[in-house]
Amino acid sequence: MAESISRALRDGVLEGEHAPALTIKDSIASPFGFDVFTHILTQLSSNILAGKSQSRGLVLVAFSRSPSFYVELLKRRGIDVPSSQKWIQILDCYTDPLGWKEKLVEPGNNVRISNEASIGVCLCKTVKDMDKLLSSIIELGKGLVGQGRVRFCVAIDSVNEIIRHASIASVAGLVSNLRTNDQVSSIFWLSHSDLHEDRVTAVLEYMSSMVASIEPLNATGQRYDRENLSLTEHNCWKGKLLVRLKRRNGRVRVMSEEFHVEQSVIKFTSLSSRDEILNRSLLPEVQFSLQLSEKEQIDRAKVILPFEHQGHDKHIQIYDGRRSLMDSKNETGPVSTGLSQTNESCGKGEIVYFRDSDDERPDSDEDPDDDLDI
Amino acid sequence: MATSKARMSSFSRTFTAASSSSTPGLKFGPNGTIFISSGIPDLDSGGFPLGSLVMVMEDAEAPHHMLLLRNFMSQGLVHKQPLLYASPSKDPKGFLGTLPSPACLYKLQEEGLRIAWQYKKYFGENHLNSDSNRDGKQEYCNDFDLRKPLERHFLSGQHIDCISIQDTPDLSTLRDRCATFLTQFPRNDGNISSAGRIAIQSFCAPQCEYSNMEWDMISFLRSLRSMIRASNAVAFVTFPPSLLSPSFSRRWQHMADTLLSVRAIPDDDKELAKLLTGYHDMIGLLNVHKIARINTQVAVILDATTFSIQLQKRRFLVLECLNQAPIDATSGNSYGTSASCSGSSKSGTLDF
Repeated sequence: MAESISRALRDGVLEGEHAPALTIKDSIASPFGFDVFTHILTQLSSNILAGKSQSRGLVLVAFSRSPSFYVELLKRRGIDVPSSQKWIQILDCYTDPLGWKEKLVEPGNNVRISNEASIGVCLCKTVKDMDKLLSSIIELGKGLVGQGRVRFCVAIDSVNEIIRHASIASVAGLVSNLRTNDQVSSIFWLSHSDLHEDRVTAVLEYMSSMVASIEPLNATGQRYDRENLSLTEHNCWKGKLLVRLKRRNGRVRVMSEEFHVEQSVIKFTSLSSRDEILNRSLLPEVQFSLQLSEKEQIDRAKVILPFEHQGHDKHIQIYDGRRSLMDSKNETGPVSTGLSQTNESCGKGEIVYFRDSDDERPDSDEDPDDDLDI
Repeated sequence: MATSKARMSSFSRTFTAASSSSTPGLKFGPNGTIFISSGIPDLDSGGFPLGSLVMVMEDAEAPHHMLLLRNFMSQGLVHKQPLLYASPSKDPKGFLGTLPSPACLYKLQEEGLRIAWQYKKYFGENHLNSDSNRDGKQEYCNDFDLRKPLERHFLSGQHIDCISIQDTPDLSTLRDRCATFLTQFPRNDGNISSAGRIAIQSFCAPQCEYSNMEWDMISFLRSLRSMIRASNAVAFVTFPPSLLSPSFSRRWQHMADTLLSVRAIPDDDKELAKLLTGYHDMIGLLNVHKIARINTQVAVILDATTFSIQLQKRRFLVLECLNQAPIDATSGNSYGTSASCSGSSKSGTLDF
């Protein structure tokens, strides 16, 4: 759930442990990863500004959007931007990641590549070098919070962009070094899982302590089916957030939530019961079927039980040793007489029983069918 | 290897492994096999035979392999067996500070009956004094207190070697270090002086540069195994199989002499709580897939292959045999449906 992830990032890290790391993972079936990322970013920023979080600053590594976009976004969501220099630094890997623009500029021309120096933006031109990237992030962070015990958190806009430029081993090394750094409080990043191989997704999940997957509401996802067009429209602005939290004691907490996006603002609600696939039973499938289907229940109701009084004139003839069927229907209570009676059966054989004497007590074993409504 | 002591089949030839008095860390078994302890009493029935390669399959979502690794390393240090430790972190020596210390006998008295204080003096000094443990007869397998770090004097000494495998571009350095380490324990037919332990943590961790060189890694494992066979040492390697391609994951599993796997369990799972007693104390599951059978052709049939990992009082690692195996426990594959820890969607059937 988005709340618990934000709380985990806000609370940060304990001494001697690795910083919590969140992977936000989406795919083309439900492409709302960026909305979730900005939501988490906004929550963390407001926590930092309010002083509620362990970290005192945020370093945002921007690959897929320009820094001005983020500034505008934060402004729109009510985050105090003019004083942003004190708490946020943006490492601009969007404008000129490989330093090509710089090379195109002829010497002598004063071209301002970035005019956002006022808002704490630092240009990065060497995204291929992970060591340099790591040191830039740490430097920016130290610039925000100073030396010492104060921590900052790191947000990486899109891991896919880094993986285009560097190997997964070096990206894993970058993440691992950030997590073990003394001054990093928490770290989170966005990844589009269908842009690279499964192994890359597996590595990112291995390196993180929380994984938030964005999935379509219904399992079929995007199918360009005429009949299902309404289904795809339904999926357009809604989705499901599945979170797997690795807890300190080694257990995994699995949670899920529904969300919908309205005018680029995302709202989370708890999962409606019809969509709770997660609560499918973990009990093993037993070889005996203990449940009845509806048809089976109806059939069961139709079965005529042999001793049951059907409630209409047609009655089932049952031989009863002490009294005839007709008598038992007319009597009000269970009466057991010692008289022998011939049974008026429906034409089948009859048994005539003579008791030795009338004084004899009735059969010692009570009629077990006394209470049957025959 | 992991039989419960109470249940011994009448058809199995039980052997009483004799501890050597001169080298307390070794136990002699049949067919010339010599065992060293894994550091976990519930896992040891015998121990790990010298010359074998033990591999543990990690679960990406839980750190339980670290518990096994710590106990293995601590046991070796307590018995003064030289240790070579390789890890993907920048500072492997720091990990040595987290190794657990053997629990003193006092722990046994805390369980069970609480005896009135004044009677304790009649039990004699050795029960109260943990120091006597060191002077007296050393146990083959200790109970470790995970909250108490190993005492300094176990860690100081020339016999601990740490390597960081994060920045090494290939595995030749690691192979050379292992070869040098293992020359100390050649396997002659003569007397055995001491045994060695090699512990490699998260061998294919993604931050290691060689981690995408799959053939190189498997060839390293093969050479490690052949070196280990010719020496009186045990190698303990953990690896996350989810980061390997399926065919290589299989190859690695076949490489192992003893194969274990650890799995995470979901938190607050009501269905699982109904299925497993003691769910609330459990932190994970341990599966035994393969047991080393060196020097013998007799197959071993284990009483139980699935154990629950529990931390008693958050200090002592306890493995409990699960009588009612959870789904897919016997197949050893990823557990359960997509709602469960490893995320695969396979459900098994109970056999009646």
